[in-house]
Amino acid sequence: MELVMPPKKKRPTPILIRNIMIALALIALYIWTFSTIDIRWERVFSERTITNFSRVIPQLFSPDWDAFQKVMILMWQTIQMAYTGTLLAAILAVPFGFFAASNITKSKTLNILSKGALDAIRAFPELVLALMFVAAIGPSPFAGVLAIAIGSIGMLGKLYSEVIESIDMHVVEALEANGANKIQVLFYGIIPQIVPEFLSYAIYRFEIDIRASTILGIIGAGGIGTLITIATANRNWDEVGMILLIIIIVVTAIDYFSAFIRKRIV
Amino acid sequence: MNSETVVQGLTSTKEKLRITIILIAVIGMYIYTSRATESSILDFIDGWSGFQRIAVDLFPPNWSYAPLVGEKLAETIQMAIIATTVAALVSIPIFLLSAANLFPNAWIHMPVRLLMNILRTIPDILLAVIFVGIFGVGVFPGIMALFIFSLGILAKLMYETIEAIDMNPIDAIRAAGGNTMQVIWFAVLPQVLPQFVSFTLYVFEVNVRASVVLGFVGAGGIGLLLQQQVSFFNYPRVMTIIIIIFVAVVIIDYISNKIRERLV
Amino acid sequence: MIEFKDVSLVYPNGTQGLKNINLKVNQGEFVVVVGLSGAGKSTLIRSMNRLVTPTDGELLIEGNNILNYNHRNLRKLRTRVGMIFQNYNLVRRSTVMRNVISGRLGHTGTVKSILNLFLKEEVSLAYQSLDRVNIAEKLYQRADQLSGGQQQRVAIARVLTQQPKIVLADEPVASLDPPTSHQVMKYLRKINKEDNITTIVNLHFIDMAMEYADRIVGMRSGEIVFDGPVSEVTEQTFEKIYGRKIREDDLVGGHDNE
Repeated sequence: MELVMPPKKKRPTPILIRNIMIALALIALYIWTFSTIDIRWERVFSERTITNFSRVIPQLFSPDWDAFQKVMILMWQTIQMAYTGTLLAAILAVPFGFFAASNITKSKTLNILSKGALDAIRAFPELVLALMFVAAIGPSPFAGVLAIAIGSIGMLGKLYSEVIESIDMHVVEALEANGANKIQVLFYGIIPQIVPEFLSYAIYRFEIDIRASTILGIIGAGGIGTLITIATANRNWDEVGMILLIIIIVVTAIDYFSAFIRKRIV
Repeated sequence: MNSETVVQGLTSTKEKLRITIILIAVIGMYIYTSRATESSILDFIDGWSGFQRIAVDLFPPNWSYAPLVGEKLAETIQMAIIATTVAALVSIPIFLLSAANLFPNAWIHMPVRLLMNILRTIPDILLAVIFVGIFGVGVFPGIMALFIFSLGILAKLMYETIEAIDMNPIDAIRAAGGNTMQVIWFAVLPQVLPQFVSFTLYVFEVNVRASVVLGFVGAGGIGLLLQQQVSFFNYPRVMTIIIIIFVAVVIIDYISNKIRERLV
Repeated sequence: MIEFKDVSLVYPNGTQGLKNINLKVNQGEFVVVVGLSGAGKSTLIRSMNRLVTPTDGELLIEGNNILNYNHRNLRKLRTRVGMIFQNYNLVRRSTVMRNVISGRLGHTGTVKSILNLFLKEEVSLAYQSLDRVNIAEKLYQRADQLSGGQQQRVAIARVLTQQPKIVLADEPVASLDPPTSHQVMKYLRKINKEDNITTIVNLHFIDMAMEYADRIVGMRSGEIVFDGPVSEVTEQTFEKIYGRKIREDDLVGGHDNE
C-alpha cells in the first residue's frame, strides 16, 4: 500500500539563505577560535598539574583558622569600600539619570551625552578602572572605592533613567496645570514616584559591589583581595580556603539581607 | 465629630521619625566608612594631582602597539567563546535538575541549586587564581574560571525560566505516554529555547568583560598587557589598550543586544 | 471496557474527589459526564489514565486493574488512552506537525524520538490524522498562529496519531465559542464512530451533552447521581444533577445549522 506522506516543508529562499549564512558564520567563528587559541594541553595534562591538584584542593577544603582574624579585618574593609562606593554612586548617578531620561530632560544633546557617558563607563570592568586609579594615586582602598563608585554610576544611572522614563506623567501634568513650578513638580510629582525603585536598585548594586570589592585587592586597591595575592604567592592554599569560605558566607548573607530589604521597599 | 482634627504635616510623626533615624544611620555609616577607607573629599583633593598626571600622560595613544594588542584581544574573545559554549552545554542537565516543576522531589533540585548558589558567590578572578595555581599560567585556567562562573549564572536564569513555563503541554505529552526525557525534549525545551539562546549571549557579554581582567592573575588574555604596561608607566600604550578594549566591548554588546532583541 | 469498582479518591489536602464510584463503559460508547464544576468530573476522567491516582477501589481497563501499575505499565496504558484538554495543551512554539507526531512518543524509544527518527508509517499517520480533522494545510505553521478551534483540532489529530482505544476529553470546548464548540464535538463524535474509540467527555453544557452523547453520567460532589441513555434524560434529571433549576448559562445555544 502506498503511504500518504506530508508535502515537503517549503522555506522561502531568503530565509534559507539567511539560515545558511548564520550556520557558516558560527562554524567560521568556532574554527577561528579553536585553531588560533594557544591552550598548552601538555602543561594542562602534566605531572605538575596532578601534584598541584593534590596539594591545592585538599588545602582549599581545610581552611586555616589561624588566619580567621586577619581575613575578617580585611573583609570588614571590603564591606566598607563597597558601602562608600555604592553610596557615592547612588547619589552621583541621580543627575545622570535625570539628564538621560527623555521625558524630563527635553534637550536631545544632553540625553545622548549622558546616555553615552553611562554606556562608556559600563564597557569597563571595575578592575580596569581600579588599575588606573592605583596607577594615579598609589595602592590604597581609595582607588578601590573610586573604581566601585564610577562603575556603579554606569549601571545605576541607566537604571534610574529607565525608572524616570516609566513614571506616570499625568501626575506631572496635573501639578503643572495647578501652577506648580519646576522644583515643586520635582518634589511633589516626580520624587515620590521614583524613590522606592531608586533605593531598591542602589541596594541591589551594593550586592554586586560587595562581590566586586572582594577582588580589587589583587591589584592593590584594598580589601580582602590583598590577602589573596599574598596567600597564593606563598602557596598558603589553606589561607585561600579561609578567604573563600568567608567570601561565600558574607556574600550570601548580604544577598539575603539586601533581598529582604528590597522586598520591603517595593 | 465632636473634636477638631489636628493635622500635623503631610506624613505621620512616627514615619518621619523612622525616616530620620534611617537617614542618620546611613550618613553616619558613610562618614565612618569613608574615613576608614581613606576616601573622603579631602583624600580626593589630595589625590587630584595624581589623576591630572595620569590623564595627561595617557595622551596621545601609541598606535604602533595596536597589532600586539589585537592579538591578545582575539585571545580574550576566544576564551569567552569557549567558556560560554561549554558552560551552555553543561548547564542543560543542571538547570533541568534544578527546576522544581520538573523534579518536584526536593532531594533532587535543592542540592543542585545550593551548589550553583555557592559557585555564583565566588568571584571569577578568584577562581582564576585557584586554577592558575593548579594548571599554571595560561589561557586554560582562565577558561575554566569563566566556565564555572557562567555555569552558576546560566543555571539560575534558566531554572527560573523553566519554572514559569506553561505546564499544559507537559500534561499532554505525559498523557500520550511520553517519558521524562521525551517530556523535556518535546514540551520543555521548545518553550525555553529563545530564552536559553538569549541568556547564553548575555553570559557571553559578561564573559568578555571578565576575561579582559583575567590576565591580571596570569590567566590569559589582554589583561596581562594592560598590567605590564601600567607597571612600566608606559601610559600611551595603556591608552591604546584601553581604547581597543572599549571599542571591542561596545561592538560585542551591540551585536549581542541586536540578536537578543530579535529572539524574544 | 472500562470498569470502576468502588473507586474513591481523597486528595492529600483532604478533599474527597471521588466517592465509591461504580461505572462500566463498553467499547465504542460515547459517554458525556455532566455536573457542576468541582463535582469530580475532571478527577473521574484523569483517573482513567492515572494523571491522578484513586486511593481506593479497583479501576479495570481491558480487564487489568490500572491502579497498581508501575512506570512501564503506565506508559503502555497511556499509549492506549488518548486525552484532549480544555486548553488544547499544544507546545505553542512548535509546529503543528511536531505537536501531532508527539502522539507517537509512547510508542517510540527515547533516543529515536529525540533524533526525530519516526517511522515513515508514523509520519504518514500523523499527516492523515491532520487531514481527518481538515487542518492538513496548517502542517508547518506554529501552533500559536492557529485559532482556538484549530488548536483543539490539532489536539484531536495528536490523539488520533496515538491510535488509542479510549479517548478522554476534559472540558474540550470550554474555551471555545458555540459554533467552534459544535465543530469540535462533531469531530470527536466522528472518530468515535469511525474508529470505534470509546469516548468519555466532560461537559457542562446540557444541550450539547444531549446532542452528542449516547449515554449521560451525572456527577455531584464526587458521586454518580445519574447514569443512563440520553432517551431517559429529562429536565428533572439535570435539576437533580445540578441541585437547582436549569439556567440560560447551562446551555451553549447556537445549534449549528450547517
